[in-house]
Amino acid sequence: MTDGRSWPFWTFIALLAILHFLVHLGLGVGVAAPDLLTVAVLLGARRLRGSAAAALGFAFGLLRDSLSLSSFGADVVSLTLVGYLGARSRDFFVGDSLLFIGIYLFAGKWFHDVVYDLIAGSTMAGDMVVRLFVQAPLASLYAAAAGVVALVLYRIVVGAR
Amino acid sequence: MDYFEGTRRARRRDAALAAVLVIAALFVFFLPGAYQAPVRQAVRGTALRPFLALQAEIAQRRVLAVDVAELRAQRDSLAAVAAAQAALAEENERLRALLGLRARAEPSFKAAQVLRLGVPGAESSFMLDIGAADGVRVGSPVLAAGGLLGMVVEVDEHMAQAIDWSHPDFRASAMTLDGTAYGLLEPRRGAFREADLMALTGAPFHSDIASGTRVVTSGRGGMYPRGIPLGVVVGIEEADTGWRKSYLVRPAVRPEAVLHVLVGVRKDSGGKGDLSQLWHVAAPPDTMDSAADTARPTSRETP
Repeated sequence: MTDGRSWPFWTFIALLAILHFLVHLGLGVGVAAPDLLTVAVLLGARRLRGSAAAALGFAFGLLRDSLSLSSFGADVVSLTLVGYLGARSRDFFVGDSLLFIGIYLFAGKWFHDVVYDLIAGSTMAGDMVVRLFVQAPLASLYAAAAGVVALVLYRIVVGAR
Repeated sequence: MDYFEGTRRARRRDAALAAVLVIAALFVFFLPGAYQAPVRQAVRGTALRPFLALQAEIAQRRVLAVDVAELRAQRDSLAAVAAAQAALAEENERLRALLGLRARAEPSFKAAQVLRLGVPGAESSFMLDIGAADGVRVGSPVLAAGGLLGMVVEVDEHMAQAIDWSHPDFRASAMTLDGTAYGLLEPRRGAFREADLMALTGAPFHSDIASGTRVVTSGRGGMYPRGIPLGVVVGIEEADTGWRKSYLVRPAVRPEAVLHVLVGVRKDSGGKGDLSQLWHVAAPPDTMDSAADTARPTSRETP
């Protein structure tokens, strides 16, 4: 996932965020589209210091929360934590393979959903157990698959391995 | 600097900075609602504006793609109605002039398009493509073809954010169509959105509301005009220790199906009006209002 050049990578991260809002908000697709914003934070965090990754999560979370009436700030908290822990995960896990990235994205997105649910669960519809152990893993799998596909495309474009 | 290989001190400083950000995030979360709104409006009006504008544009184009034959049929029907009422309008104008009444006020409602917000935390809310510049204000009722959809909660210059009846904060003063039972309508969450219902709470214990009874807004509280359909009673929810009953109500409007709405844009489009004729429902006069008028002291009785 890491190569010497940085601007193409950060352009890629910015494009993921733009694509997220384009699909979810511009086209109004909703939950049928993957959560590319969390994927962008998770991928970006692997190249940043803990504090910078937390700042990235904070900024992206604030963007998404600006549309939230009932749980404003819940995504700011969860994405800030995801960013920081994503950066610190380098201390424990190192790898660039697509399988590793896929598992990392899946775990990171699930963690995000669990934190979000713990903070804002009272405002969400449905049973908490179903949300955490059925809906969240499926959404994480979807986001991880989308993230891996996006990363493959990025590597093809920049000519990285 | 692909991987952070700092010294122990730098790591500690980095962790402290991250902790400050987490605390700031918690601060944002616990911010009172009055302070959250300006932050939301600022972000929506800048970074997210292009995306909202795109959806508004798509919604606009969707309208243009409506079947022309259907529109023509509706226009012909309206033309027939208008032609039949032309004489009435003229007569009304003449009588108003004779009585010295001013001209009728401009329409109290404005058409708007519903923009969906496909992000978590925005369930049960939606954006409207009209705002303060069009006369929309916080609390304006949002009506769909079937009845009441929700209310406006935040207003920007050219956009507004509203909640539908399934939002936990939604409440509406309601009554049965025959006016025998009054209560408060509030949402009841289902296992999934399609299973969401409403509940008419606080109905008198002695009143038995049959399934199929229509429920409309009562106009009390000054929030919504009187006579807007809310739904149909489907059964009793609970009887509260001999004091009152709650009834489950199937909503008249499914939020996910609504694309176009009418939004109240004037102050007197609130609880003062009576919109029952729009939906061909005959809501009886509010006895509480007439009782209050009777009880109100006249100028002679006032010391």
